[in-house]
Amino acid sequence: MPEPVGAMPATGTGGSIGRIAWRLRPVFLFAALAALPYLLSYSQQEIAVLLVINVLLVSSYRLLTLTGEWSLGHVVIMGVGAYASALLAKQAGVPVPLSMLLGGCMAAAVAALLSFPLFRMKGFYFLIGSFAAGEIIRLIWKRFTDPFGGPKGLKRIEPFPDIETGFLSIDFYEPVNYYFLALVVVSASLFVLYRIERSRIGLTFHAIHWQDRLAESVGVDTFRYRTLAFVIASFFAGIAGGLYAHYIGAVNPTRFSVDQMVYVLVWAIVGGTATFHGPILGVVVLTVINEIVLRALGLDTARPLIYGAILILSVLYLPNGLESLGPRLRALWQRRRGGSAAAGSEPA
Amino acid sequence: MDLLWQTAVNATYAASYMALIAVGLVMIFGVMGVINFAHGELYMVGAYCVVFLYAQENFPFLLAVAAGLVFVGIVGIVMERTMFRPLRDNPLGGLIASIGFLLILQTLVVFGFGRRMGHVPPSTHGKIEFFGAVLTYQRLFVIVAAILLLAALWAFLRRSKFGRALRACAQDTEAASLQGISMNQTARIAMFIGAGLAGVAGALTAPLVSPTPYIGHSIIVTAFIIIIVGGVGSLEGAVIAAVLYAFVHTFVTTFFDGVIANIVGLALMLSVLVVRPTGLFGARERA
Amino acid sequence: MSRKSLDRKISRRKFLGTTAASGTALAAMGSGLSRVAFADSHTIRIGFLAPLTGPVAAWGKPGLDGCLIWADWVNAKGGVNIGGQSYNIEFVGYDNEYDAAKARTGATKLIKEDGVKFVMMLGGDTWPGVQKIAEREGMLFSTLLPSDLSPDSTTLVAPCEVHPIYNVTGVEWLAENKPELKTAAMCAQDDALGKPSVATYLAAFEAAGIEMQDEPLFFDPATTDFAPVMTKLLAGNPDILCLDTCYADYVHPLCEQAFQQGYKGQIISCTADFYQKIIEKTSAEFMEGFIFQFPDFDDPALNSEGVNFVNPNEFYAEYAKRYGASEWGAVSWEYASIMDLWADAAGKAGSAEPAAVLEAMKAGGTGKHAFGTADWWGTELFGIDNALVGNWPVVAIEGGKATIKEFRSIPAWWDKHKDLMVKHMTALGQMWNQRG
Repeated sequence: MPEPVGAMPATGTGGSIGRIAWRLRPVFLFAALAALPYLLSYSQQEIAVLLVINVLLVSSYRLLTLTGEWSLGHVVIMGVGAYASALLAKQAGVPVPLSMLLGGCMAAAVAALLSFPLFRMKGFYFLIGSFAAGEIIRLIWKRFTDPFGGPKGLKRIEPFPDIETGFLSIDFYEPVNYYFLALVVVSASLFVLYRIERSRIGLTFHAIHWQDRLAESVGVDTFRYRTLAFVIASFFAGIAGGLYAHYIGAVNPTRFSVDQMVYVLVWAIVGGTATFHGPILGVVVLTVINEIVLRALGLDTARPLIYGAILILSVLYLPNGLESLGPRLRALWQRRRGGSAAAGSEPA
Repeated sequence: MDLLWQTAVNATYAASYMALIAVGLVMIFGVMGVINFAHGELYMVGAYCVVFLYAQENFPFLLAVAAGLVFVGIVGIVMERTMFRPLRDNPLGGLIASIGFLLILQTLVVFGFGRRMGHVPPSTHGKIEFFGAVLTYQRLFVIVAAILLLAALWAFLRRSKFGRALRACAQDTEAASLQGISMNQTARIAMFIGAGLAGVAGALTAPLVSPTPYIGHSIIVTAFIIIIVGGVGSLEGAVIAAVLYAFVHTFVTTFFDGVIANIVGLALMLSVLVVRPTGLFGARERA
Repeated sequence: MSRKSLDRKISRRKFLGTTAASGTALAAMGSGLSRVAFADSHTIRIGFLAPLTGPVAAWGKPGLDGCLIWADWVNAKGGVNIGGQSYNIEFVGYDNEYDAAKARTGATKLIKEDGVKFVMMLGGDTWPGVQKIAEREGMLFSTLLPSDLSPDSTTLVAPCEVHPIYNVTGVEWLAENKPELKTAAMCAQDDALGKPSVATYLAAFEAAGIEMQDEPLFFDPATTDFAPVMTKLLAGNPDILCLDTCYADYVHPLCEQAFQQGYKGQIISCTADFYQKIIEKTSAEFMEGFIFQFPDFDDPALNSEGVNFVNPNEFYAEYAKRYGASEWGAVSWEYASIMDLWADAAGKAGSAEPAAVLEAMKAGGTGKHAFGTADWWGTELFGIDNALVGNWPVVAIEGGKATIKEFRSIPAWWDKHKDLMVKHMTALGQMWNQRG
């Protein structure tokens, strides 16, 4: 599943075709992602755009969870990016790609500010504290009609500018084009997130999660690292917000409510957070089930019921998330083959 | 002066049903270690028990309320057995499962009772008046029931063997099981009580709120604020915080407006979290 | 419109040509696979894009149910006659969960894959996601919330609900028939539904010379206990208690509290769904004379000449039979009444194409609104004349039954008092050019 370039694990020395194919995974993956929109109907392309944006949202969320903290404010932070980018474009005339970047920076700045009260807390208290902080931000959007638009939010947000050169003309109203734009932005962001996780900083995040007292005792400033994880995760959530705002063209406080946050939590946990690709797997599988399969079955009013049952069954029978399904199946397969091909099958 | 008295009466009522809900939520969190996101929906199911038994089938009101307590308590036992027990070492999994469960409860109630509000006529039109304030019997029921139920719970937890086991489990699961306390049995009772309290709160207030299948959302947010202010593990804290929150919220609503009251409530919670992260009555050790 | 869509096709083709070589082959494959399933030539599809699940579903699903009755009746009579041929009507629903992004996806599915000729929406939070699509595709859309209207969206109409403007009729009737009532207090739900309605009631009270005792009291849409709200409202013992526009599940406890806290005066509200149940909770004397704006559809006054809704009494009976009287609400008939207007316009235009239907619908500046012939209006409030505004019923509860007192003209009020309306709408930031 979506693993950025450079994520190839060291494989054995053999040269079988299967192994070459394994090494070429990223190429196949990108070919598949490039081909994807042409296999979908128009409205499914729309779903694909939102899915790519949500992949960034949930992946950035995972970076925060590396330190062991689960926030309920991540979607509000995404909203900070969305509102900031929209307002910069609407009122200050900042060109859209730049406004998205600044939106990300704004989200990061708000996170840095919030980290002072929030990181006095841990675990359950952090969870609830982040919820309270998010609610206060949402109340500010609702209360201050100027500039945030009140309960109705902002409308007619500048779209991503069309590209018009002599031979190339790209109109970002078309979902297929915005899909590629989002794909490029999100792939680049995922690459950065992945490198951070694999860097010394990322290892420190892990250490804080599992051994925070120990990490402190060897001189790691856990507050600083927690803040760092929060700020980086928030930056990318803000970028996701910008991508959303300039595609849909509207934001409102309800869009970033705790109900939406619950979905992010669900994607991450159903997918599994032990690996980089777990949450991505979660968002992709659950979105396809909810938006395509259940709708196609014509189950409109029963949809929440079935979705709820799927959530329960998945945490009961796949407690380590969808990500654990691959290795399990592979182990089963290898046992069948008598363990003859053990090498080269280890995922990240 | 009337206004002040009336507001105090209003606040007392609000404190009563909020305390029932919050104590239930704390109970479940304390023993099970999971945040029961479906707690608001348990309240909602309790209210619909009264919609069905009392408003539609004409059983006596108090019988319908008792049925609400027992039925929602049993729903709690089902949740414990099917979800929280297998997920005992996986609190986040328990959280997700409770989210799935709330979606199921909402949809089932929509199927059974429609998506619009349920109608519950008052069981009595009587009221008492004092110092110019009005208190209807319907609201008085809620206040009296809350006091009786919480007092009974308190006595139960102090006096009975179960109560001691329950507190032991809430404090330290491993040590409790080493002492020969059955974790499953304790969890089942805690879940029955916790869910039953939410259910009885819903049942008692059903004639006063116009229940809808989605009312749980409003309930859970308030309940979270209360248990944070009170300290997540503390039953006494939950009661005191419910009273505090209800009085602050009611007075601010009456003397300013409802939206400002919500902001004040959130600010209260955030400042408690910042100054004393374990809540006013929580244990020193941070979770 | 056609030029625009042509441009788009070209730009898409250009883009394809310049992307990876593999693109072309896959595109061919893709277009074969995409499910373009247009209806057969004797059926016209109509899109229904509204919340069907979740807390806002009460404003969507009952409307779709009402439309199904409408379609059954029309199809049983041989369908809609357009250009000399009869067409059956089929509704295609899409649950947008009251989310802008899902509404956008739904709109493209309905237009591009289901081939609908007209899309009905609840509007509100979901409309901004669809706006661009409506403009680009030239599709005809309708909304129940006229505050969605703006001059940029020429193909969006608000042909039935003109919430909250019609609320002025209730206040005006009250001032005329009960001139002794001089003071008022108001509470309102703090959201996109409540706020424009507050401005409307403030303007109407000011026009009627009724004095507000205090600022309107806003409460959060997640409120469960209304005792404190009512205590505050009744503190000055107002002649009139105004409940603004709030959800039905709030009107009930508000009335119950007013009754319990000893209020004896006049109540006015936008809605009073299931008012019989309010009477059960309070008393017949308490609810006597309660003013609101939504008649029962078994009211004989709806059979009077001038009312365009077809067979209102039978429609209500059929609805109650199929889905239960407890599912009935304003939206049950509103979407169906929009279909009456659409079918009429399509017949006149001799075509179901959106542009032609819109033109026929607005021809002559008047249209057949459910409650009588009405004007296409709205430039001063919405920047465009796409709201159909005429008479609206004032309903009072008399002897435990909602009774239409009068059909009152909204434009007549507007001509006299529009400055007041603009003033209060501006103060609350609700004018079309003020909205984000």
